[in-house]
Amino acid sequence: METLMVDRVQSSLRLFMYRNALFLCERLCAEFPSELNLQLLATCYLRNNQAYCAYHILKGSKMPQSRYLFAISCFQMNLLREAETALCPANEPNAEVPNGAAGHYLLGLIYRYTGRRTCAVDHFMQALAIDPLLWAAYEELCILGAAEEASECFNDAAAFRVQQQQLSESSSQNLTIGTECQSLPSSMALGSGDTSPRHSKQLHANNTRETLSHPHGTVMVAGHPPIGGPSNISQYYTPPAVTQLSGVAPPPLCRNAQLYLNAIGGDGYTKSNVNAVIQAPRRKFVDEGKLRKVSGRLFSDSGTRRSTRLSGEAAANTNSNASQLGGNGANHFSAKSLGGLSSSSSKTNSAVLRSVTLRRGQSWANENFDEGRRSQIFYDSCADNTVTTSSMSALADGKCLEQDKMGCGISAHDSRLASGIREFLGLLRTLGEGYRLSCLYRSQEALEVYLRLSQHQFNTGWVLSQVGKAHFELVDYFEADRFFDLARRVSPYTLEGMDIYSTVLYHLEEEMKLSYLAQELISVDRLSPQAWCAMGNCYSLQKDHETAVKNFQRAVHVDSRFAYAHTLCGHEYVALEDFENGIKCYQSALQVDERHYNAWYGLGVVYLRQEKFEFAEHHFRKAFHINPCSSVLMCYLGMALHSLKRDEEALEIMEKAISADKKNPLPMYQKANILSSLERFDEALKELEQLKEYAPRESSVYALMGKIYKRLNVHEKAMFYFGIALDLKPPAADVATIKSAMEKLYLPDELEDTL
Amino acid sequence: MATESDGEEDTAGKLTGSQHLEVDDDLREMAKKAAWSVSSCKPGNGVLALRDDNLDTYWQSDGAQPHLVNIQFQKKVKLQLLVLYVDFKLDESYTPSKISIRAGDGFHNLKEIKTVEFKKPVGWVHIPLSGTDPRETFIHTFMLQLAVLSNHLNGRDTHVRQIKIYGPRPNPVPHQPFHFISKEFITYSTLK
Repeated sequence: METLMVDRVQSSLRLFMYRNALFLCERLCAEFPSELNLQLLATCYLRNNQAYCAYHILKGSKMPQSRYLFAISCFQMNLLREAETALCPANEPNAEVPNGAAGHYLLGLIYRYTGRRTCAVDHFMQALAIDPLLWAAYEELCILGAAEEASECFNDAAAFRVQQQQLSESSSQNLTIGTECQSLPSSMALGSGDTSPRHSKQLHANNTRETLSHPHGTVMVAGHPPIGGPSNISQYYTPPAVTQLSGVAPPPLCRNAQLYLNAIGGDGYTKSNVNAVIQAPRRKFVDEGKLRKVSGRLFSDSGTRRSTRLSGEAAANTNSNASQLGGNGANHFSAKSLGGLSSSSSKTNSAVLRSVTLRRGQSWANENFDEGRRSQIFYDSCADNTVTTSSMSALADGKCLEQDKMGCGISAHDSRLASGIREFLGLLRTLGEGYRLSCLYRSQEALEVYLRLSQHQFNTGWVLSQVGKAHFELVDYFEADRFFDLARRVSPYTLEGMDIYSTVLYHLEEEMKLSYLAQELISVDRLSPQAWCAMGNCYSLQKDHETAVKNFQRAVHVDSRFAYAHTLCGHEYVALEDFENGIKCYQSALQVDERHYNAWYGLGVVYLRQEKFEFAEHHFRKAFHINPCSSVLMCYLGMALHSLKRDEEALEIMEKAISADKKNPLPMYQKANILSSLERFDEALKELEQLKEYAPRESSVYALMGKIYKRLNVHEKAMFYFGIALDLKPPAADVATIKSAMEKLYLPDELEDTL
Repeated sequence: MATESDGEEDTAGKLTGSQHLEVDDDLREMAKKAAWSVSSCKPGNGVLALRDDNLDTYWQSDGAQPHLVNIQFQKKVKLQLLVLYVDFKLDESYTPSKISIRAGDGFHNLKEIKTVEFKKPVGWVHIPLSGTDPRETFIHTFMLQLAVLSNHLNGRDTHVRQIKIYGPRPNPVPHQPFHFISKEFITYSTLK
C-alpha cells in the first residue's frame, strides 16, 4: 500500500495536482511514518508554495536530504540563519553538505545575503568544482566580482569531471524497462550514441535558458526532457522558487540523465554523484526563483512568459529547423518532435528543448519533478532499480542504449559523451566569459564574446538582454534600445533586464515607448520589481518625482533584494532634495549588492550637493573602481576633484574621460570650466570651440564662452556669445544669470557671485 | 515663466483668475519645504486647507485686517510664481480684493514687493514675483508673506481655497554654472 500511495502522490505532483498530492501524502505519512515520506510531504508543501509547512514538518530532521529541504524552506521564509545551520550544523564542522553542489550553492546564497562575501565565494567555487555545469554558481561568482575566467571553470578538467560523474551514474543504473516507461513518450529517438551530445547540449541549452528566462527565477524546465520523455523532463523542472527542489528527485534525475548519456546498465548508484549532477541544474533554477519570486503567481506568469518567449524564440530562430520548432512549439510534446531530434543537429535539440520548455511553461508554472519523483519512487521501492532508467531507454526508441548495445555501445557512448560534454562546456564557457566581463563592466570585451555565440543562441532573450545591458554600460543608448527591443520581440514575457531597458528609454526621453513598456510589464506581472521600476522611470521622466518614489518603493516592497529598485528610489529622493532618505536608499542598495556602482555614484552626487567634497570624491572613486570604463563616472570624479581644488588630477581624469568616449561632450565642457577657473582662458576657449562644433545648440557652451570673454574683457565677443546663448532658450534661471552678466558687462567685475 | 494670461486680467489690470493652473515645466512647487502659518483662523478652516489640494476646503480668517499668510523656508530660496485659488461666486464678500506680497528674512524686515488687485476672481490667479527687471525673475528670500488688505464688498474676513508657490528647478548636475539643454549633453550628464 505504501508504494501505491507514494506512486499516486508522485504522479499527482507530476501532473500539478497539488491538493490531491498533499492530501494523499498526509495520509501516507500518517499510515507509514518515515523520514522519506516526510521528505515527500515536504516536497508537496514546497511545490504548493507552503514553505512554512515544510519548515515545520522537517524541523530537526537529520537526513541530508531532509536538511536540504529544510534549508530550502528556511531560505524561502527568509530565515537565513536556520537555513545555514541546517546545511552546516554547528556541532559537526566536518559534515558533508547535503546534495553536494546544490547544497554548496544554497549555502553560498545564504552567505551572500548575510554579508559574508568570502564564505559565499568559497561555497560557490566548491559547488562549481563538484558540478561544473552549475551555471547559477558561476553567475553568482560574477555578481560578487570573484569569478575566474570562464575558460578556467568550464575547461577540459571540468569536462573530465562531468564525464566521470556521468559514467559513474550510468554504471550504477539499471536498464531494465520499467512499467512506467510505457507512458512516456518514447521518442528518445536517439541512437545511443546520439544521446549524449544531444543530451548534454540540451542540458546546456536548457540551463542557459534557465538562467535567462527567469526574471523571477521561476523554474524552468531543465531540458533533457525531449530525450527522455516525461521522466526526463521532470528532472529538470526546477520548481518555482518556492516550491521546488524536492530532494527526492535527484536520484531519478541522475538516472535519467545517465540514460541519455550512457545507456549503460548499472549497479550501484552513488547518491552523491547523482545529487551533484542533478542538483546542479535544478538548483540553479530553484535558486533563481527563490531569489526573485514573490509568490506563486509569479511562477505562473513566468511560466507563461517563458512559453511565449520560447515561441518567440522559435519564431526568431533562423535555424533551418525552425519549422520543426514551430511544430514543437505548439506545446506539443510528442514523440514526433523527439523523433525529429534524432536526425537533427544540436540546433534541433535546442529547438526541442525549447518546445519542451514551452510546453512546460504553458502548463501550470509550478513545474516540478514529477517524473523525477516517480523515478525516485521506483528507486526507493525497487531496490533492484527496475525503474525509469529503463523507461528512458525505452523511450530511446528501441534502439536505445539498451542492453543490446551495451557492450559495443559503451565506447561509442563514451566518446559521444565526451564530445557532448565538451560542446556543452564550450557554450557555457562563452556565455560565462561574456557574463563575467559584463559584470566587471568590461562591456566592449563582453560584446565581442557574445558575438561569438551561434545565431540561435544569440537570438535568445537572455543574451540579447545582456548585450543591451552592455551597450547601456557603454552609454550607447541607441544600440541598447535596439537590442532590448529585439529581446522583447524574441521573448515578450521576459522581465529580466527590463528595468535597465526602462532606464535606457528614460535617457533617450522616449516617453511613449517608456510608458508602453511599463504598462506591458505591469500587465505581464504586477509582482515583479522590474515592472514597478519601469513605471517609476515613467513618472521620473515626467518630473513627477513623488509618484516615482511611490512606484520605486513598491518595487522595493515586491523584492527587497533587487538592488536597482533601491538605487532608483534614491535618485528620486535626491531629485526631491530629500538627501537623508536618498542616502538611506543608496545604502540599502549597497547592502544587497556591493558592486552596484550606480549606488556609489548616487551617494557621490548627494555629497557633492551637500558640498561634502571629500566624501563625494571617495564615493565616485569607489564607483569608478568598479566600473573603470564609464566616462560619466570619470567626469563626476573630476568634478569632485575640482571642487576639492585638486585641479591637476581633475584635468587628468577629464582627459581620460574624453579619450574613453569620444561622444561624451561633458568632460570637454568640464575641462573648459576647470581651465577657466584656473584662468587658462585660451585653452578653455579651444575646448569650447570644439564643443561648439559637436553640440551647436547647447546654450551652456556659448554662455561659458561669453563668461570667459567677459573675464578677458573682450566685450563684443562676450555680448555676441551671450546673445547666442539666450537665443537658444535656456531655462529661466540661466536667462536671469546671462542677462545679469550682460548688464554688468561694462562694469568692472569685482564682487560677482556667479559671473 | 508664467505671465499673466489674457484671461486673467480685465481692462483695469485687475486679476480675474483662470480656470486652469498653468505653470511652466521648469518650475516646481516649493511649498513642501516651508512652514506655513496664518494670522488667525476659524476652527475647522485653518491653514491646512490652504495646502490640501482640495478646492472645496478653504482658510477663513477670524480677526482684524490685514489677514496674513506666512511662508517661511529654512534657507534662502528662489521663488518665481505665486498662485492662489479664490472664488467670488462661492465666497462673495469673503473674496480678497487687494493683496500685498512681502518678502524678507523674517517678520522684522519684510518688505513689500508687489501689490495686486482682484476683480471678482474665479479660479487660479497667477502672480509672478519678479519685478519689471528681467534680471529679477526670482526673488531670493527666506520668507514670503501674503497680506489680504481688503475683501470684495468690504467683507471683514477672507476665504482662500488654495495657495501654491513655485520656484525654479535645481540643476540636475550639481555645481554647474549653467543648465544643459541639448540632447547630447543631457544624455551624458547623469547616470541612473
